[in-house]
Amino acid sequence: MVEKKARYQNRIELLQGTLDLLILQTLQWGSQHGYGISVAIRNRSGELLQVDTGSLYPALHRLEKQKWIKAEWRISENKQRAKFYQLTAAGKRQLTRERSKWSQLSDAIAGVLQPEE
Amino acid sequence: MDFWRRKKREEELDAEVQSHLQMAARERVERGDTSNDAEHAARREFGNVGLVKEFTRDVWGWRWLRDIADDARYGLRMLAKNPGFAIVAILSLALGIGATTAVFSVVYAVLVNPYPYANSDRMVHLVVHDTNGNRRYVNLNGPQLQQLRKATSVESSAAMDGWDLTTTEGDLPENVQGVYLTSNAFVHFGMPTLLGRGLLPSDAPEGQDPESVVVLGYQFWQRHYGGDPHIVGKNIQLVHKSYSIVGVVRPRFTWGDGEVYLPLKLTADPVRTYFPMIRLKPGVTRAAANAEFQSLVEQFAKQTPTHFPEHFRMAIEGLNDHFVTDIGGTLYLLLAAVALLLLIGCGNVSILLLARGTARQHELAVRSAIGAEGSRLLRQLLTEALMLSFAGAVIGVALANSLVKLIVNWLPEFSFPHEAAISINMPVLFFSVSLALLTGIVFGISPALQFARPDVARVMQANTRKITTGVRGRQTHSVLIAGQIALTLLLLAGAGVAIRGFVGMMRVNLGYDPHNTMSVGIPVHDNTYTTWEARRGYFSQLLQKVGAMPEVVSAGLSTNATPPSNGWEQRFEISGKPVAEQQRARINFISPGYFSVLRIPLLQGRIWDESETMHGSKLALINQTLARQYFPNGDAIGSEIRVPELKGEPPFQLAVAGSDSWFQVVGIVGDARDDGLRNPVKPSVFVPYTIKMPVWTQILVRTKVPPLRILRAVREQIHTVDPDQQASRNVRDLDGWITTQPEWEQGHLVATLFAGFAILALALAATGLYSVISFAVSQRTGEFGIRMALGARPKDVLLMVFRSAAMSVTGGVLAGVVLTITLNRVLARWIQGSSLDAMILAGVILLLVATSALSCFIPARRASSLDPTVALRYE
Repeated sequence: MVEKKARYQNRIELLQGTLDLLILQTLQWGSQHGYGISVAIRNRSGELLQVDTGSLYPALHRLEKQKWIKAEWRISENKQRAKFYQLTAAGKRQLTRERSKWSQLSDAIAGVLQPEE
Repeated sequence: MDFWRRKKREEELDAEVQSHLQMAARERVERGDTSNDAEHAARREFGNVGLVKEFTRDVWGWRWLRDIADDARYGLRMLAKNPGFAIVAILSLALGIGATTAVFSVVYAVLVNPYPYANSDRMVHLVVHDTNGNRRYVNLNGPQLQQLRKATSVESSAAMDGWDLTTTEGDLPENVQGVYLTSNAFVHFGMPTLLGRGLLPSDAPEGQDPESVVVLGYQFWQRHYGGDPHIVGKNIQLVHKSYSIVGVVRPRFTWGDGEVYLPLKLTADPVRTYFPMIRLKPGVTRAAANAEFQSLVEQFAKQTPTHFPEHFRMAIEGLNDHFVTDIGGTLYLLLAAVALLLLIGCGNVSILLLARGTARQHELAVRSAIGAEGSRLLRQLLTEALMLSFAGAVIGVALANSLVKLIVNWLPEFSFPHEAAISINMPVLFFSVSLALLTGIVFGISPALQFARPDVARVMQANTRKITTGVRGRQTHSVLIAGQIALTLLLLAGAGVAIRGFVGMMRVNLGYDPHNTMSVGIPVHDNTYTTWEARRGYFSQLLQKVGAMPEVVSAGLSTNATPPSNGWEQRFEISGKPVAEQQRARINFISPGYFSVLRIPLLQGRIWDESETMHGSKLALINQTLARQYFPNGDAIGSEIRVPELKGEPPFQLAVAGSDSWFQVVGIVGDARDDGLRNPVKPSVFVPYTIKMPVWTQILVRTKVPPLRILRAVREQIHTVDPDQQASRNVRDLDGWITTQPEWEQGHLVATLFAGFAILALALAATGLYSVISFAVSQRTGEFGIRMALGARPKDVLLMVFRSAAMSVTGGVLAGVVLTITLNRVLARWIQGSSLDAMILAGVILLLVATSALSCFIPARRASSLDPTVALRYE
């Protein structure tokens, strides 16, 4: 129980607007369904980033509406019917934009945090 | 977003979420969890499925629309679950809206804005009051009209005259009401025509006969020509003369109820008079105008003394003044009644909504507990309330429409201006509907306001046991119920008074037998039978022909004596007695057969015979009232009376020589109603019709069959005497003349509508009370169960329920009685001929208390027949 709680506390709240970037990036490696996306983000972040389903699904539907990703129903490797999302051409361009924005932001923050010499 | 696409999306979202949960669970199973644990854990990790879906749907957009649709669907389901509630609430509102809108529409059309003419607020009638307070319209001759036109108060004036004309194209002559207008009249009225043109000055050139042109009345155009749009330019034959149709007036132009409007040429003949129409200059007060007209008309009275009372006071009237006196009170009374009905209706809806809101406290708490926001609950309740209000409004509008038609049919025919365009009044409709919507909003969301942030745990625990409702809610109910009952009592008392007045009028002893009798009006054409002998011969011939018909029992002539409102009220003198100014009687011109047609008994003396009639003998009969009043010693027969104003005026009024001299009283007849159904019988004098013959008479016919059935045969007989002679359009049987008396029609209107409204109010109040008690009982089911388990008998529970209602009912009745007695004077003034008394009041209270008891009894019995074990488990 104690261990579980500690793990939960170690999770990092996602920055506003970064979820879109993470989703787009995850889909860069291939089409994936909602559950797969959340698992991928969790695993790749070393269990630190936990995507709330209440944010994930609205984000997926929003990205789909913006035509950055498109969805189709397919059978998963576990023989289960699931809704798979994949990047569109516009989505790839968007990902590039988001990535450069992110690196600018993280550089800026790193610059601010750098101890003065 | 269309429905099917949305549905598909919903299904996909659902599938997506399901697949997520399944995959998460599957992974846990693979990691070694049992499938049950895995499923729960997956679900827990996922979070609130409903909320996730909700947030996702938000992304789709159109959320508000979807919410409204959801609210509406849910609302409909809630209403359908409780159809009785929905129906009562909707009907309460519909009745209130419908009745208020209808009655106000009539009030507005008849009393506030009846006339379509330009500046009709400055148009006046010349009216004088004589020393006895009788009101008389002033008619002026040509030169006098010219003088009036120049008066400083007058902006514009015109004159009219009326004659009954006939069409002479069909097999029998048809009556056509002709209104002759001076050629400036259409300018004076300032109203354009529907087709063609109005009358122009060139239609009546100075010093020449008017042109043969005619403007058709709208109704006549519709009836006679089927609304032919190409009628202008065609001709119409009226009394063998061809007229060219130059125009058709608009529907609301009904001046003088004319069927055809013809140009009038004023003559200089001092005997010939016309009806003046005046528009005052802006800013001229009635008092200033009266002062000027007083001296002017006094001057006229010196020129033509017979046209005016001896002493008079000028009192001009606006076009609608007379109608306002006639029917204004009645209509305002009805307006008050429907306003009460609307209040009661809104009250009912508030009670129902409040009671339901209280009953739904538990539901609201549950919905709040599973995540509904306060504003969402508010909107849900608002949607439901608005659905009710809206349905009520729609039905109310339909109801208003039919009620307006009903009232228009029942309005006393000659007690409202025919110019009035009676239709649904939009501002009032808007007002009533808004009031209904507001009621819905205020009382619909008040439970939501109360429970928007409920102490969920408390409410859910408390209400699963259904102990009792809060005291504050019950107080609001009590006040609303009491108010409803008070207003209902007031309405019931008003209805009681109105009905008793009307029933009393129907039961009145007429003094004559109206059944199987009709009066056929004979309008004499201009310039025909212009000598006394010729007209006497003509009238007696008409009477003979009709009297000889096989279906006719008896026939008589009645120039002006057809009851129940008859005679020409005049000052009279009795030979050898001092003359009192207020000594007045109603003078009737009749043939001797009159009394047997109407079955009025001869009490004393004799009736003059045929030859005396033909000679115009100066003989008179008097009624019982006159005999009792002026000959208390029984010496009436053989005495002599005289009517100084009884003079002829050829060629219109043809009198026998010496008609203003002494008449010998030869008999006394029984009293018959002569001043309407409500007023006491006035002193009456009957003289031979040949004494004075105007351009009009009526044949009274008693028949073996329903009289109107032989009307055509009667008209054929008249046709044989004079092929141009028509019967007036307005032929009725004598029962018909009774039911078209303004007081009869008004009484009928008020009594029927009032009774209808009062019954509706009673029904509304009863359902209101019933719902409150029912809800209270269902709320207290658990409490009753406990009480009964502890030994309370069914009787105690019954009493307990009754006691809870007794306060509000008693309070309401008391308030109602106080209200009724306070308003009694207003009621008495407006519902003439009847007043409130203890009987009516007691009856009304009894009715109200009995109805209330019944509405309590049903739920109370349900409570008292509860099985305690069931009641305790009741959810």
